[in-house]
Amino acid sequence: MSTEILSVSDLTVGFPTDDGLVTAVRGVTYTLKEREVLAIVGESGSGKSVSAMALMGLLPKTARISGSIRYRDEEVLEMSPKRARAMRGQNIAMIFQDPMTSMNPVYSVGDQLAEAYRSHHRVERKVALGKAVEMLDRVGIPQAKDRARSYPHEFSGGMRQRAMIAMAIINSPDIIIADEPTTALDVTVQAQILETLIEVKDSVNAAVILITHDLGVVAGMAHRVLVMYAGRGVERAEVSDIYSRPRMPYTAGLLGSIPALDSAGGRLHPIGGAPPSLINLPPGCPFSPRCPLVSDRCQTEEPQLLATDIPNHEVACHHWEQVASAPDPTLLFRTEEVQA
Amino acid sequence: MTEAHDSVSPPAHLLEVENLVKEFPVKGGGLFRRTAGVVQAVSDISFHLDPGETLGLVGESGCGKSTTGRAVLQLHKPTSGSVRYNGRELTTLTQKELRPIRRDLQIVFQDPYASLNPKMPVNDIVGEPMRVHGVRGPQVPERVADLLKRVGLAPEHGNRYPHEFSGGQRQRVGIARALALEPKVIVLDEPVSALDVSVQAGVVNLLEELQAQLGLAYLFIAHDLSVVRHISDRVAVMYLGRIVEIGTRADVYEQPSHPYTQALLSSAPIADPEKERARERIVLEGDVPSPIDPPSGCRFRTRCWKAQDICATETPELVDRGTGHPVACHFAEVRAVV
Repeated sequence: MSTEILSVSDLTVGFPTDDGLVTAVRGVTYTLKEREVLAIVGESGSGKSVSAMALMGLLPKTARISGSIRYRDEEVLEMSPKRARAMRGQNIAMIFQDPMTSMNPVYSVGDQLAEAYRSHHRVERKVALGKAVEMLDRVGIPQAKDRARSYPHEFSGGMRQRAMIAMAIINSPDIIIADEPTTALDVTVQAQILETLIEVKDSVNAAVILITHDLGVVAGMAHRVLVMYAGRGVERAEVSDIYSRPRMPYTAGLLGSIPALDSAGGRLHPIGGAPPSLINLPPGCPFSPRCPLVSDRCQTEEPQLLATDIPNHEVACHHWEQVASAPDPTLLFRTEEVQA
Repeated sequence: MTEAHDSVSPPAHLLEVENLVKEFPVKGGGLFRRTAGVVQAVSDISFHLDPGETLGLVGESGCGKSTTGRAVLQLHKPTSGSVRYNGRELTTLTQKELRPIRRDLQIVFQDPYASLNPKMPVNDIVGEPMRVHGVRGPQVPERVADLLKRVGLAPEHGNRYPHEFSGGQRQRVGIARALALEPKVIVLDEPVSALDVSVQAGVVNLLEELQAQLGLAYLFIAHDLSVVRHISDRVAVMYLGRIVEIGTRADVYEQPSHPYTQALLSSAPIADPEKERARERIVLEGDVPSPIDPPSGCRFRTRCWKAQDICATETPELVDRGTGHPVACHFAEVRAVV
C-alpha cells in the first residue's frame, strides 16, 4: 500500500429539482491507495453513492459537479469523453447493488462479459468469450463454459453478483467500486460474495471503494473508513479506530444502535430524530439537531474535517475532545429507560 | 373489551402451532392453467408462544418464515395442521367466526411505505381497526391520540398523511395501528429491515417497552441475526420450510447444534474488526434448492458438510439430541461460532 491512485477533493454535486437545488454531496475529500479497501459508510441520503457515480460518469446531465477527482495524474472531471470512456471499465470498474437490473436481460451472461472485454481490447469475439469463461470460472461459477450461455434471469442472486464481479475484473482494473454489493443478498450468500470479491481483488491487484451502510461488512473488509452524513465526510480513520475510538458523535451513535451478534446485550442507544432533508439543511453542523453534545457554536458554524489526537484520524466535530474523553461514547445517546 | 371465548380445554400456551403445512399451487402456462406443481412453503412446523415472550423466527429469503406468520393469523389458509389460540382451533373457523379473534392477533408489516394507505390521515389509519370492529364514539379520537403518544409520536401529527413522515415514524404508525384493539399477540414481519440503523434501534426499543407495559407476545420474523438475538427470548431457525433448530436465545446463539444454524451465524458479520477478522467462517456451497422440489430426507443435506446416506432417506425429527434443545439433524453437535 503505497502510491495514491485516486484523490477526490472538495467534490460537490447538486441536482436541480422543482423544490430547489439539492446538494447531495457537499465537499467530500478522500484518497485511495493501491490495493487498499476504503469503505464509505452512511445511511440513506448521506451522499455515499453519489461521489462514486460522479467518478464513473453516471450522474444525469443536469447534475452540477465541482471540485476535483484525480485518477493517477489525470483530472477526471476535465477528461475528453473518449479518454473518460477508456478509463471507465478499463481502469475503474463498478459493481452495483442489484445485478438483476444492471445486466442486460436479452444477452447471455457470456456475451455481456465478452462485450465488456472487447470494448477495451481489439480481439476476436471468440477470444473475448474465452476470456469471459475464464473470468466466470475465477469467481466460482461452476461449469463456467455452459453457464456463460445462460441469461441473467437463469442465475440466482448470488450467481448474478458473481457474474457482475467477473465483468468488473475482466479488464484488470486498478479500482473496483462496489456499491452495496451484498445488500440484496442473504447472509450466507453475502459471505460467499465478499470472500470472492477479496480473492479477485487481490488477484488483479485492484483497490476497492466499498460503499455500504453495514458496519459489520466494513469491519471485515475495509482498511480505512470514511463516514458520511448529510453529504459530507464527518469522520475518516483506520478501520480499527473507527470502532474502538470514534471521535464523531454520529459514528458513536451508529455503533450504539447496532445490536451485537456475539452477546445478548443490553438496551440499544439510538440516535434521536432522523437524517435532515438535503433541501433544508440546518445551519451549522447538519448533525446538531440529533446530537447530545450540541452547543451554540454547532448551530452556526459547520465544523471542517480536521485532525484529532489519533494519527490519520480526522473528524468534523467541534466537540470531538468530549467524545474522546467519554469512557464509552455510545452512552452519550443514552435515553430514559421507559418513556411512559 | 372482553370476549367470551368458549374455551375448550385449559390451554398450555397462548398460541400453539402444530404440524403446520402451507403449500401454494404452481400453475402451468397453458390454456387451462393446470396445477404444475406445489411450492412447499411451510412443511410441518410446530411451536408455541406464551404471553409476554418473543419468539424470533429467522432464516433466509424463501425459507417460509413470513408464510408461517401469515398462516398463523389465517391470512393464508393453512393446507393442514393446527393453530390454537387460547385453546381454540383457528384453522376450522369461518371468516365471520374469526373476526372477533382477530382483535387479539395483529400484524406489523416490513415496508412502512406500502402498508399505510397514502390517502388516509394517520388518525384514520390508527382508528380504522376500531371502526372495523364496531368501536365508535368520542373515545376513538382519545384512544388514537393516546396510541400515537405511546409509540412516540405527537398526537397533533395525526392529521398528517403518511408521506409527511420518515420511515421510522411510519413504522411507529403501523405499530400504533396494530395496538389499537389491545391485541395479545403481534406478528412482526421484518419490522425494522427497511429502516436505517440509527432509526431501527429506536423502533426496537419501542417494541421492547410496549411488550413490558402491555404483556404482548411477539412472533418476530427477521433475517437480521443480531436484531433477533437482541429482542428474542426464544429463537427458531428455518430452512426451506422447516424449523431446523429451536431453543432459548442462549441455546441457539451460544450452542448452535444444526450445521445450518452454525453456517448462518458464522456468516453474519460482527461490527468489530478485531473479532470479525479472527473468526472462522463456514461458507456454504451453492444455493438454496427450489421449494417446488426439495431434497428428500433432510432438506439441508445438499449443502451440508456432514451429510451421509441416512440424511437422504430419513427426515431428521426436531428433537433434543443431547445438546439441550431440539435440533433436526442426525449429526447434531454443539459448535460455537460467534
